[in-house]
Amino acid sequence: MEHRQVQGNVFNIQRYSLHDGPGIRTVVFLKGCPLRCKWCSNPESWVTASEMYYDASKCISTEACGFCLSACQSRAIAKDYDSGKVKIDRRNCARGCLDCAAVCPSRAIDVYGKVMSVEEVLKIADQDSIFYQRSGGGLTLSGGEVTAQIEFAEELLARAKRRRIHTAIETCGYTSWNQLARLLPHLDMIHYDLKSLNEQAHLRFTGVTPYLIKENLKRLSQSFERSKMVVRTPVIPGFNDSAEAITELAEFVASLGGIRHELLKYHRYGSVKYDFLGRTYGLGQKELTEEFFAVLTGIVAQYH
Amino acid sequence: MTVQSVLSVQEQRLLLPLGEQTVTIPGHERAGRILRSFQNQRPKIDVERARLFTESFRQSEGEALILRWSKALLHIAKHITVYIDEDQLIVGRGGYTGRYGILYPELDGDYLDTAIRELPSRGQSPFDLTDEDARVIVNEISPYWKGKTFHEALADALPADTLKVTYDPEDPLKSRFIINETASFRSSIQWVHDYEKVLRIGYKGIKEEALREIDQLDPYSPVDNMEKLPFLQAIVNVSDAIVLWANRHSELASRQADEESNPVRQAELRKIAEISARVPEYPPRSFHEAVQSQWFVQMFSRLEQKTGTVISNGRMDQYLYPYYQQDIKLGHITDQEVIELLECVWNAMAQFLDLYISPTGGAFNEGYAHWEAVTVGGQTPGGLDATNELTYLMLQSKREFPLNYPDLAARIHTRSPERYLYEVAETIKEGSGFPKLINDEEVVPLLLAKGATFEEAYDYAVSGCAECRMPNRDTYTSPCAYINFAAAIEMTLRNGQMQRYPGEILGLETGDPQSFGSWELFFDAYKAQQKHFLKHAFIQQHAIIRLRSRHFAAPLSSSMHKLCLQNFKDIHEPHIEGGIDLGYFEFIGYGTVIDSLAAIKKVVYEDKRITMGQLIEALDRDFEGYEAIRQLLAHAPSYGNNDDYADSIAKELDEEALKFTRNYSKQLGVNLDLRYVPFTSHVPFGKVVAATPNGRKAYTPLADGSSASHGADKNGPTAVLLSNFYSKNYNYRERAARLLNIKLTPSCVDGEEGTLKLVSFIRTWSDLRLWHLQFNIINRQTLLDAQREPEQYRNLLVRIAGYSAYFTDLSEDLQNDLIRRTEHTAI
Repeated sequence: MEHRQVQGNVFNIQRYSLHDGPGIRTVVFLKGCPLRCKWCSNPESWVTASEMYYDASKCISTEACGFCLSACQSRAIAKDYDSGKVKIDRRNCARGCLDCAAVCPSRAIDVYGKVMSVEEVLKIADQDSIFYQRSGGGLTLSGGEVTAQIEFAEELLARAKRRRIHTAIETCGYTSWNQLARLLPHLDMIHYDLKSLNEQAHLRFTGVTPYLIKENLKRLSQSFERSKMVVRTPVIPGFNDSAEAITELAEFVASLGGIRHELLKYHRYGSVKYDFLGRTYGLGQKELTEEFFAVLTGIVAQYH
Repeated sequence: MTVQSVLSVQEQRLLLPLGEQTVTIPGHERAGRILRSFQNQRPKIDVERARLFTESFRQSEGEALILRWSKALLHIAKHITVYIDEDQLIVGRGGYTGRYGILYPELDGDYLDTAIRELPSRGQSPFDLTDEDARVIVNEISPYWKGKTFHEALADALPADTLKVTYDPEDPLKSRFIINETASFRSSIQWVHDYEKVLRIGYKGIKEEALREIDQLDPYSPVDNMEKLPFLQAIVNVSDAIVLWANRHSELASRQADEESNPVRQAELRKIAEISARVPEYPPRSFHEAVQSQWFVQMFSRLEQKTGTVISNGRMDQYLYPYYQQDIKLGHITDQEVIELLECVWNAMAQFLDLYISPTGGAFNEGYAHWEAVTVGGQTPGGLDATNELTYLMLQSKREFPLNYPDLAARIHTRSPERYLYEVAETIKEGSGFPKLINDEEVVPLLLAKGATFEEAYDYAVSGCAECRMPNRDTYTSPCAYINFAAAIEMTLRNGQMQRYPGEILGLETGDPQSFGSWELFFDAYKAQQKHFLKHAFIQQHAIIRLRSRHFAAPLSSSMHKLCLQNFKDIHEPHIEGGIDLGYFEFIGYGTVIDSLAAIKKVVYEDKRITMGQLIEALDRDFEGYEAIRQLLAHAPSYGNNDDYADSIAKELDEEALKFTRNYSKQLGVNLDLRYVPFTSHVPFGKVVAATPNGRKAYTPLADGSSASHGADKNGPTAVLLSNFYSKNYNYRERAARLLNIKLTPSCVDGEEGTLKLVSFIRTWSDLRLWHLQFNIINRQTLLDAQREPEQYRNLLVRIAGYSAYFTDLSEDLQNDLIRRTEHTAI
């Protein structure tokens, strides 16, 4: 097992992470997700392969540079005469060559996703482990959806556990039970996303129904220590930001017994990444007020 | 670029105007009233000390220097104006009421007359000077010192090759900011007294000891007559001087009390009169007397000499503790009254400004900043945890009162109690970034390795910015070289020359870099330049160590030092038997140098994206028209990210410098340890260095201390600590302080959980045996600055559960949204 060189696609390794489990943690974000949540703040996680993105604000102009224009073999990049920078026509892009990103000096064109071996990721966790010792922190796998790269995730967690590193995952729960079950022996903690119990709304806002997510959560509550589970609900305007929707979720979580339930306040800081990827952000300018969020948090608190 | 954005946390903090808004904090009325009396006041220069010092020196020509110095202090004690500030309970100042600075003509008297004309109008930290005082300087003070000052003698003593990398050969007052000596703008490096000795036996006791020694001298011995007797007489004189000066406060307080109509203030004045008649002559009987005694010594030290960063306060929570304990037990004082007294001292500290006349001194200490460290926590001489109730009161005082002073330093060790670390973390969170942290786990073993006993090592006090002192064992006061190694990078690229000084060969002629066929050859050339710089730094130090005692003496400081008294030698003597001489040299621009080398290695030699010729062309033109090259270089691996590519270069640079001092400091008979503590020198040093291969624009500031280049640390604070750890050479005892500043967003420390995570972060920092750490909790203003100058803030991470981004990557609209949020919630 120790010699298997399993590789995965990682789009970010966040050191000194303080909000994704106990202590000071290292969060490894894996690419690939079966959901397409309209509010998703990590749209770079959707597809499993590495992908090019373009942040025009960092482009230093075709006059000063223009390396990408000659690097692109599929004529997907052209000069934008209005801004003096480049524009990208993704329909022509031979996705995956990433030649443009390799030459861009300012990282205006760059890549989301890096293929890494389990050992490479663990080397970073090993160095950070001195912070885990004092803080009770550890390694968290996030995404995307962690089970989208099940082989990599399993190997990574198993080897981390063998090194006595505290392990956690963040999952959307949309996966076969068998896959989820493979990770359980190597886990100290699970963050489980539960977004809505309303079938129609869930389908419309995430692309899938909540059935599998709900069933997996029930089963998980029977097979994993409930005190080491946290159910998290992002509160999204127009989707689940009503007292009724939150009450329904809180009741459901409470019915499982002894599982902490947290609400995460909606933010749109990820919207900028949609521009980078040439996609359109699904939620527009909707806001959730502090005051109303506090009301909803109060509802959840009643069930604890 | 604003200066604010490039200064270290501590500097920024100390430069802040004192309380913009009117301070009224319940329970702190007195401190608030005193603060209001001088806040936002433009500082004044008081010439009295300089005039009296000069008057006395005119009278004492030909006598032993230490004796002359003691007579000058006696003359000052007799004639200087004494003050009692309204509302103050602690008395003793060195000049005008309000914010003030004083002059040290023994350092700069020869050019003081011309320099003072510029003071009221200079951009950074202007001072006001009255016409009458200006006249005194021009007519009475300056003429005496011409031809007599240390800096003139030093310029004469330096060999030509060393001189040209030190000063402008045409004008020795102008530093080259390459290998910068710092011995001519201050008479001592940061220093800490054994205040406890004064508390224990008083100046009466110190004087009696000296008189006993005089009785025992051999009247026929030439050594006793020429060395010991002047020393002992000087000790007697300064003992008389400080007591006389204190007693004059007593007389003034009595007179004021007689005239005071308010009975409350009248009682306070009577008490001041009683206490000033008692201390520092006799041991204090109460906490109040102990605080006053320490302050008299502290302030009189400022009249004695210009100590770098101002004389530090030592372990206040230790030596004041017995008096606190006794008074609390007897019911003579409450904790609230203790805090009130401490605030009186902090207020007094804040009014004295560290005035630099020399342009170099000013550049090194921009603004009015001074660092008279107050040390709390740590270990007892027996190696047990030292925290006590007074430690917690000092931390509480720092949280409650919005004053930049004192410069609070918390010693941390592996067994520091959880409560202590919790309160330290809470104090840091209050937003000031104080206290700064010093790590016993690094400092104590190094002091032992230099020959200290366990008792001495455990009992060290923080001194100045990030240094440490053992008050009865340290005997080295010569200020040392600050070395601009970013200039060495430039000289490697320009074959010994610099753009700023065209036509001059300043460094080694290591050859045309275009002829270096490999990274190894380039790195060797850089290392040769680095070694050449060290050579001249050590030559400077050789001259400085031998010259200083002819120009400076410090009988008051010597009177508190066990080894000075045992050897009958002034603290500024080149060698004192039994002492440990802890000198240093500063590596300035560490991050800039590492990142420049890493960029050259990666972009030129490994990836071959550009040639050496193209690199030099781009640097010559400060990247104008070469932005693509600049971006390539700026995105090469950099220090501060726990990236072995850069950190391994960092470690090698560190080791090269350590090897040099291991070989040569022995010859100088002192420990010249490697430090990374810039004060504000990375700003003026940057002003002489052209564009560097890390993408830094010409003449902008260098990286400070052992911190990453501005905005280069993109993996968060744990990676910064790890880079520091992996770039240190723990097998060398020649290492010393590394200044490290870390920015934290408020969300990182939010709530109870945030405090606990900060505590564990600090514990890990201690485990890693890093020397110093100071935090800057990012506020709304920082984010606004980041919006305006994204280049400087590329490292600002936005942390939200399940999401992360760099602040500067967000659109303006989203940035504004975050800035709004920063007020209450968090990023």
